[in-house]
Amino acid sequence: MSKLLEGARCLITGGSRGLGRAISIAFARHGARVAFTYRRDTSSAEESARLVREAGHSDPIVLQGTVTDSAHAKQAVDAVVSAWGAIDALVNCAAVMQVLPISLLEEQDFDNVMAVNVKGVYLFSRAALRPMIRAKSGSILNIGNFSSERVIEAPVHYAASKSAVRGLTEALAREVGRYGIRVNLLAPGMLDTGLALGMPQHRMREYLEQCPMHRVGRAEEVAELAAFLVSSESSFVSGAKLAADGGL
Amino acid sequence: MTATARLINETTSLCRTCKQAVAARVVVDGANEVWMHKRCDEHGEQRVRLSTNGEWYERTRAIRPKSAPPTGPTRPVDKGCPFDCGPCESHAQRIRMPVVTITSACDLDCPICYVHNKNDSPFHMSREEFGRVLDNLVRESGGELDLINLTGGEPLLHPELLSLIEMAHDRGIHRVSVCSNGVRLAKDEALVEKLAKLDARIALSFDTFDKHTDRAMQGAALVELKHKVLTLLERYGVDTTLIPVMSRGYNDHEIGAIIKMGLELSCVRHLEVHTITYTGQGGASFDRSARISMLEVLERIEETTQGMLRVGDFVPSPSAHPLCYQIAYLLIDEQGGPPLSFLRFMERDELYACLEDHLYLEPSARLEAALQDAIDRVWARGGEDDERALAMLDRLVRTLFPSERALDTKASIRVGERAAKAVYVHSHMDEDNFDTERAYLCCDSNCYADGRTVPVCNYNVLYRDKEPRFVQAPQSWGARTGGQRSLPIVGGRRGS
Repeated sequence: MSKLLEGARCLITGGSRGLGRAISIAFARHGARVAFTYRRDTSSAEESARLVREAGHSDPIVLQGTVTDSAHAKQAVDAVVSAWGAIDALVNCAAVMQVLPISLLEEQDFDNVMAVNVKGVYLFSRAALRPMIRAKSGSILNIGNFSSERVIEAPVHYAASKSAVRGLTEALAREVGRYGIRVNLLAPGMLDTGLALGMPQHRMREYLEQCPMHRVGRAEEVAELAAFLVSSESSFVSGAKLAADGGL
Repeated sequence: MTATARLINETTSLCRTCKQAVAARVVVDGANEVWMHKRCDEHGEQRVRLSTNGEWYERTRAIRPKSAPPTGPTRPVDKGCPFDCGPCESHAQRIRMPVVTITSACDLDCPICYVHNKNDSPFHMSREEFGRVLDNLVRESGGELDLINLTGGEPLLHPELLSLIEMAHDRGIHRVSVCSNGVRLAKDEALVEKLAKLDARIALSFDTFDKHTDRAMQGAALVELKHKVLTLLERYGVDTTLIPVMSRGYNDHEIGAIIKMGLELSCVRHLEVHTITYTGQGGASFDRSARISMLEVLERIEETTQGMLRVGDFVPSPSAHPLCYQIAYLLIDEQGGPPLSFLRFMERDELYACLEDHLYLEPSARLEAALQDAIDRVWARGGEDDERALAMLDRLVRTLFPSERALDTKASIRVGERAAKAVYVHSHMDEDNFDTERAYLCCDSNCYADGRTVPVCNYNVLYRDKEPRFVQAPQSWGARTGGQRSLPIVGGRRGS
């Protein structure tokens, strides 16, 4: 397998578990230098770091903080730039998913999901864009979700947040394309890891019925696509939404 | 039958003396009571009251359970129900509660005992025989067997009980319950700890808080012992079902207190309230005036829980005849308020549908959808009582679906079982009130190694006393038995 990201300096938010971990590992396997953030679970972060080292990158940068904190975003980007001289790719993967019907959805729930899933993407993108614009190159990959489309019933605040990320991606791609910076959206379907595991059974059944491939995806399948999207192999792809959802 | 009596249905029952099949007429009389009338050519006219309320009886009986015929082999009909069990090809319900009698030994001699036991050269089912029972059940359930009940005698006297529990778990059965009178558990804390580690469930008989009533029903004063057992079960977190047997005038006034105790103890998952039945070595000679009907038990529950649980909070099981099982589910208020019946926020038909495939509520797509519908409806209604229900449901949803991690299936079941408890009322039959219409739809069966299964009421009334492993002198067909109690084991040896 050819290495798509040899020497690339990559920052991934939410790298301690689920898809964020799979992307961190895949990037390391493709030769990238990997930094990732996590919020709380230090032992999971240590496990991710171990797996990244096993995959080929001997010295990952691990940063603790919340993506809703602008200071953390700036510090994370600064850490990558000061360690490796620049930042080539940012993957905004940190997100929360909360299963709540509208009747139980309180203002605080709505604000929290929008803060992590939307504001976090904005803060990290903005922080990473300063060195990327200076370098006149870079790639930002945001992680969307099939629930932003009308596929199955999804928690409304989560679906709204992922729709917002799609809009943010398209607008940002237009705005920063002139600096050679690409911004794309990767929208996975239900996966065998991470947030999807908390879905109610009836939603999972509905999903599998509607998915032409009648299965959930593997995080590794999506992580490979992420590596492709931030690599020079997709150098003319920007403002795109790529789905990895079994054909929904 | 009086001139004012109205026929509800005709069925087949048994003569209370010779246990031969006899034609029976179920009627509602001028006092709105439901009676079964029958006549044996040899032993004359007989009648028994089935219910104190004709409308309730007819309305309940009219509910048709879900059609789910047995999946395994059946026996041809020869003598007619209930004499061809195995099950026979007319049996209309598959097994939802498999019962395996693993021993004939018992350390009590309860006046209400509804089975025959034998302490001389007691029978203990071998591991090999138990394995064949399990293999049959797993095969016939299509690999979906979710529970099994081990009974006796006193199952804790089986020398290889722990190994049998492991064997059941190894075959994928996640609810392995063991009936117990608690005597051995009270003496052996280490055993309680082992049962907890094996994830076994204890179905503990608990009839009364009164020592005199205890003596009358269990033949011993065991109230303190039962409290000690419950303390141990609570300490080690052993999933527990309380099984009170209700008898009119003895303990029916205590049912509310027993239910409240069960709801407060975190180890108690369910209560299964039985109506007294007049079969077996003790029950056949117990005070017949203590007979109590299903509806009377439900009414006592409403009275003695001060309306926390009402008659209208119960639905029949879709897996059995509606006069056999009535079920209420309660949402527990973790902030200490009174529990809330599911039917205060969920439609009756929805709860009934959620119980279709299992005797107990299991996490399922249907249950999740029903709960979401209930939440939306309560929220939209917005009444004063609804606010509390909504707050309780909100806490449950947020526990079941945390935003930052997913619970696995086992953890979800745990959360669900702590948040909701069930009260089952199970009405057994004896030869007096035996009704083949109910027997055809029985989902509780005693299971044998050769693949035969016998519905439990049929088994208790007719089959057990024919087996040498349970009685010293097996009976022949046509003989009435009972009232011949065995002697209990005291200190590991038979009492004198």
